[in-house]
Amino acid sequence: MISGSNLEQVLTSGQFTVTGELGPPQNGNFDVVRDKARILKSHVDAVNITDCQTAIVRMSSLTAGLIALAEGVEPVMQMTCRDRNRIGIQSDILGASALGIKNLLCLTGDHQKFGNHPQAKGVFDMDSIQLLGMIKAMRDDKKFQCGDEIKSHEPRLLLGAAANPFADPFEYRPIRVAKKVEAGASFIQTQIIYNVEKFARFMEIVRDLGLHEKVYILAGVTPPKSVGMARYMKKFVPGLDVTDDVIERLKGAKDPKEEGINICVDIIKQVREIPGVAGVHVMAIGWEQAVPEIVSLAGLSPRPGAKTVEPRLRSSESIELIVSNAKKDAKAEIEKALEQAKAEAQASRDLVVKEKVRVTSEISGLKRQAEEAKTIAGQKQTEIERLNAELAKTKAGLGHAQAVRGLAEKRESSALSSRERSALTSLRSGLEALSKGLGINKDQLEALRRFFEAEFLLHMDTAEQVTVPSEETAAPRKEIEKPEAEARHKEVVNLVAKGNVLLHKNDAAGALDAFEKALAIEPKDQKAGEGLKKAREAYEIAAPTEEAAAPAVPEGVPPCPEGLSPEEWQQKRVIRFVARGNVLLHKSDADGALKAFKQALELEPDDKKAKAGLLKAESGEVAPVLVPAEPEVTEKTEVPPTPEPKAAPVTEKVKAEARKVAPAPTEPTGIEGLSVAELPKETMSLSERAGPVPGNQFTESCTGAICEVSLGEGEKALTVGGSSTLPFYMFEGDMPHAPQVAFGILDSEPEDWPDVLSKYYSDVFSDPVAWARKCIDDYGAEAICLSLVSTDPNGMNRPSDEAARKAQSVIEGIDVPVILWGCGNAEKDTETLREVTNLVGNRKVCLGPLSDANYRSLGATAMAFQLPVVASTPIDVNLAKQLNILLENLGLSPDQILMDPSIGAVGYGIEYSYSVMERIRLAALTQQDEKLQVPFICNLGREVWKTKECRLPSDALLGDQERRGVLMEAVTASTLLLAGGELMVMMHPKAIALTEALIRGMMG
Amino acid sequence: MIIADQKPMDEILEMISGIEKLLVLGCRGCVAVCSAGGDKEVGVLASALRLGRKKAGKPIEIDEATYVRQCDPEYLEPLKKDGKKYDAVLSMACGVGVNFIADRCPDVNVLPALNTSFYGANLSSGEWAEMCAGCGACVLHLTGGLCPVARCAKSLSNGPCGGSVGGRCEINKDVPCIWHQICKKLTGRKQDQLLREIVPIRDWRPSGHGGPRRRIREDLLP
Ligand code: SF4
Ligand code: SF4
Repeated sequence: MISGSNLEQVLTSGQFTVTGELGPPQNGNFDVVRDKARILKSHVDAVNITDCQTAIVRMSSLTAGLIALAEGVEPVMQMTCRDRNRIGIQSDILGASALGIKNLLCLTGDHQKFGNHPQAKGVFDMDSIQLLGMIKAMRDDKKFQCGDEIKSHEPRLLLGAAANPFADPFEYRPIRVAKKVEAGASFIQTQIIYNVEKFARFMEIVRDLGLHEKVYILAGVTPPKSVGMARYMKKFVPGLDVTDDVIERLKGAKDPKEEGINICVDIIKQVREIPGVAGVHVMAIGWEQAVPEIVSLAGLSPRPGAKTVEPRLRSSESIELIVSNAKKDAKAEIEKALEQAKAEAQASRDLVVKEKVRVTSEISGLKRQAEEAKTIAGQKQTEIERLNAELAKTKAGLGHAQAVRGLAEKRESSALSSRERSALTSLRSGLEALSKGLGINKDQLEALRRFFEAEFLLHMDTAEQVTVPSEETAAPRKEIEKPEAEARHKEVVNLVAKGNVLLHKNDAAGALDAFEKALAIEPKDQKAGEGLKKAREAYEIAAPTEEAAAPAVPEGVPPCPEGLSPEEWQQKRVIRFVARGNVLLHKSDADGALKAFKQALELEPDDKKAKAGLLKAESGEVAPVLVPAEPEVTEKTEVPPTPEPKAAPVTEKVKAEARKVAPAPTEPTGIEGLSVAELPKETMSLSERAGPVPGNQFTESCTGAICEVSLGEGEKALTVGGSSTLPFYMFEGDMPHAPQVAFGILDSEPEDWPDVLSKYYSDVFSDPVAWARKCIDDYGAEAICLSLVSTDPNGMNRPSDEAARKAQSVIEGIDVPVILWGCGNAEKDTETLREVTNLVGNRKVCLGPLSDANYRSLGATAMAFQLPVVASTPIDVNLAKQLNILLENLGLSPDQILMDPSIGAVGYGIEYSYSVMERIRLAALTQQDEKLQVPFICNLGREVWKTKECRLPSDALLGDQERRGVLMEAVTASTLLLAGGELMVMMHPKAIALTEALIRGMMG
Repeated sequence: MIIADQKPMDEILEMISGIEKLLVLGCRGCVAVCSAGGDKEVGVLASALRLGRKKAGKPIEIDEATYVRQCDPEYLEPLKKDGKKYDAVLSMACGVGVNFIADRCPDVNVLPALNTSFYGANLSSGEWAEMCAGCGACVLHLTGGLCPVARCAKSLSNGPCGGSVGGRCEINKDVPCIWHQICKKLTGRKQDQLLREIVPIRDWRPSGHGGPRRRIREDLLP
C-alpha cells in the first residue's frame, strides 16, 4: 500500500472502481460541500475535489476535500500548476497529508484565460508530469524538490493524473500517459468519453505499451443534462469529443435528463468491456444527484464499505452525532441491565413463595445483584458526563481553529588652364616659398637646382606638346635672373623646341637641321643631342614605313633614354609593341595587333610572346585578358547578370571557345578562375525602396566635395575623387569618378610572399617592367604602384640612382599612371624620388609617401614638376590635417594630394582605420574642412599579404589558403571603399577582380 | 528583435500634460525595424502630439530626433546635455532605451512612448509574433527549434497539454499549439525519443526569476 486510501484498496482489490467529482462553491459555504458529499457518499469509492476548475475562483480543493472527508467521503484532492509555484504546492501537500488526505490528482490546469481572472499571471512553474515527479520524490525519496530531506512525516499520497484521448496529436496521447506513469501516477482519470470507439483505439495503444498493467485507468463519463449542455461542451470545451449521436439522442428524448443518465450508463457499460479499464470516473458537477442512479443503473452498487475513511478533523455536527450515538448506546445498555434485574427479582420472589426455606439465605445474593446493576448504571452515567465534557472541549478547539485561519572648388590651377602656366606658377610660388627662408641653405640651393632642371624639362615638354608657342615658354625664364650664358642658352632651347615641334610634325629633315644648329651653339646640350638622334632615326624610318610609324604610334618611338643601352632599349620597344598588340587584340583590333606584333618581330625575330601574339592575331583570337576594365567584362563572367550581355556578338563567344581549344603557350598558368561574377545592380531607386517614408527622412546632402586628383597623362590618365557625398551614397550626391585599383608591384624580388600570390608574378619578379606589363596586359591593370622596397637602408639598400633608373624603365615602359612608393625611410625616399623625377620629369608620376620628415624637400619637387603626392600620416585625423596644411603652405594645391591615413588589414586594426577615414570624410563633406577634402589612397595589399592568415597553409579549419588570402584582400578593400577610399593599391589579381566587380556593382 | 507598440495617444497626452518643451526621441534599432519608434514614427507622433495639445488649447513645443541606438552609452552622450533643454524626453525606444537614459542621463526626465512587448519575428508586413522569451536556458535543441517557453501558453516542458486540438492551442483557435508542431517535427525527423523522455523541472533563475540579469565577458571588460 502506498497511502492506504480507500481508493487504493478498491483499485488494488481488482474491483471495478467508481470515483465521483465534487466542485467546491464560489463562496465559503460549508453546507454546499457537505451536502454534495452526502449525496455521493457510499455511491462512489472516492470523490475528486476540483482545484478552481476552468480557472474560476472557488473554495480551495484542500478545504473542500477536508469537509468531504469529515462526511466520511474519501477525497481525491486536485492540484494544478497554474496558481502555485513549487513552494506553494509542496506546502499545501504537507498540510493535506497532515489532515488525512490520501489521494492527489496532478494536473497542469486550464489556462487562466478561461476563467474569471484572465488578467492573472499564470504561474506554470512546472507541468503536470514534473508535478507528479516532485510529489513522488517527496513521498518515496523523502526529499523536497530542492533536494532537502523531509526528516519525518513525508506525505503519503496515492498519485493520479489525467489523460485526454481526444486531444491531438492522437498518437502522442498514450505516450504522454506513459510519461505520467513513469513520473509517478498510480491511476489515470480520462477526459469525458462520448466517442467510445476512439477511446477504445486509445486503450489499444495503451495496452500495446503495457501501461494497463502499470496504472489503473478510470474512464471519465458525464451525464449530459440537456442538448444545450452537450452542444456547449462540443463547441467550447477544448479536447472534448461530443458525438452527434449523443446530441441526437438528447434531441429525441422526452425527458432529456433521463436520457442523459441513460447515455452515461450506456457508456459506462461499453467502456467496462474494454480491457484495461479499471473503473469509471463519473463527473456530474452540478448534478451530483444523478450519481447514485447512474452507479446503480450501471450495476455498480453497492460500493464496498469505506472503512478507512477517517477524518482527523471533524465538523462539529459529526462530533455531535458521535456523542449522541454514544449516549443512545449507553442508555440502551442500562435499560437492558434493568430489565434483567427486574426479571431476576421476580424470579426470586417466586422462589420465596415456593421455597420459603431457602429465602433468607438467598436474599443477600439478590441484594448484591441489585447493587451490581446500580453500579453499572452509575458507570454509564459517568461515561455520558465525560463525553459531554469532551464535546464541550472539541467545540471550543474548533472555534479557536476557525478564528485562527486566515496572500562630409575647384582652385586656380583650375582645369590646368595650361600646364605651362601652372608650372610657372608653381615655379614662382616655389621660389617664394623658398625665399621665405625655409631655414636650411642646403635645401634652398638644392631646390633652385631642381627648378632649373625643371625649367629645361618643361621647355622640352611644352615643345613636344605643341600646345603653347615657344615664345611663351621663354617668358618665365626672364624672371630667373641669370644673365651670363643666358642668351646662348635661350637660343639653344628655342632651337631644341623647334626641332621637337618639327619632329612631331613628322618633318624629320627640318628637325635634324634645328638640332644640328643647336649643337653648333652648345655641343654638350643633352636635349639637343637626344633630339638629333631621334630626328636621324625618324629621317631613316620615314622613307620605308612612313604610314606605319605615324598613326599607329601616336606618341612616337621615344629615343633611347640615357642610362639604357641600345640593346635594352630595343628590348623595351619589343615589349611595348607586344603589349600594344595585346591591347589591340583585346580590343578585337586584329589588324592593329598584327602590325604591332610584326614590328616587335622586326626588332627581335625570336621574341616568343610576339610570336604567340602574331599567331593569335592571325587567327583572329581575342587576348586572354581575364580581368578587363570595360564593359566587355560581362562576356567573361561566369554568371551573366542583367539583360545587356545579350548584345555581345556571337562571334566573341566562338572566339572565346577557340581560345580554349588552342591555348597560347606563353599564357601563365593559374589565370583560369580569375573571373568573378558581377554584382547584380540595384534597379530600384532608394525612394522606391523607402516606400512611404519621405526622402528628407533618410537623406542628408553634403555641402563639401572632395578635390579631383588626376594621375598619369594621355588617354590612360585617371582621375580620383570629386565626390560630394559619402561613398556610394549616390542618392545624396554625386560621385563622378569610381574608385580605382592600382596593382602593387615591387622593384625587387619579394622575399616573403606566399606562393598563392607569387605564383601569378614569379615569372616577372626579376623585371619590374615585365611585371608591370603583365599586370596591364594580362590582368587589365589601369594603374601601377611601384614599391621601391629595394632601397630600404635596412634591407637591400640599393643605391638611389640605381633604383631610380629601374623605376624610370617601368614608368617609360608603360602608359598607365604610376605611383612610386618609397621604402618608408624619409631621407632615402627623398633621394630616390628626386632622382626619378630628374629622369622622367615629363611624366606625371605620383610620389609617396610624404611624411612630416620629408614633406618640404619632396613637396618642393612635386610642386616644381606638378606631380601628385601621397601624404602619409599615422592613423589620426589631426595629423592628417596638419600634413595637408603644411603641404598647402609650401605651395602645393589640394588637387595634388592623396591622403594615406595608414591602414590595416581586416583583423589588424581595420576598424581603427575605418573610423579615422570616416571621421575625415565626414569633416570634409559635412563640415567643409577644406584641408581634408582630398582623396584617400589605401596601400592595402602589402598589409594584407603579410598577415599570418595569408601565410598559413590550406587546412580543414581555415580552408584554402589562396581563397582565404584573396578574400582577406578583397574584404579589406571593400571595407576601405566604404570608408571613403578612392585609390586601392592591391596585389592579388583575383582579389582585384572581385574588388572591381564590387565597385562596378556599387556604382550602378 | 524587440517588438514594441505605441502607447495609446490619450495615455501619452496624459503623461505629458504638464510639459511645455518636449523632445520626441526615436531609436533606429529594433523599434525602427518593427515600425514603432523609428524616424518616421517620431515624425508622426510629434505631429499628433502638437495637434492634440493645440486642440486642447495648450500648445506645446516639440523637437524631434532619432538616435542610432538608445541602448549604448556612446549614442546617449549628446543627450546628457541636450536633454536638459527639455521638460521631458519622450523616448520611442524600447524599455531598455528608456531605462538606460534614466540611468545615464540623470538630469533628463524621460518618459516611455511605447509598450515594449516581446522578442519576435516579422511574419509578414505588419504582423509580428513572439518567438523567444529570453529564458536564459535554451532548449531548442530538444524541441525541433520551436520554443515551448515562449510559444506555449503554459510554457510546458513535456508535450502538449490536453487542450491541444487540431494543432490549435486551447486558449484560442487562432493560436497554433507549438507543442503539436514540436511533436510533428520531432516525429518527422525520427527524433520522437525526445518526446518520450521526461524533461526535468526547470531552473527559472536564468530567465529572470533569479533577479535582474547581467552578462559579463571578462575578455571584453575595459
Ligand atoms: S527555450 Fe528559452 S532561450 Fe530558447 S527560444 Fe525558448 S525562451 Fe528563448
Ligand atoms: S494547447 Fe499546446 S500551446 Fe496551448 S497550452 Fe496546451 S500545449 Fe501549450
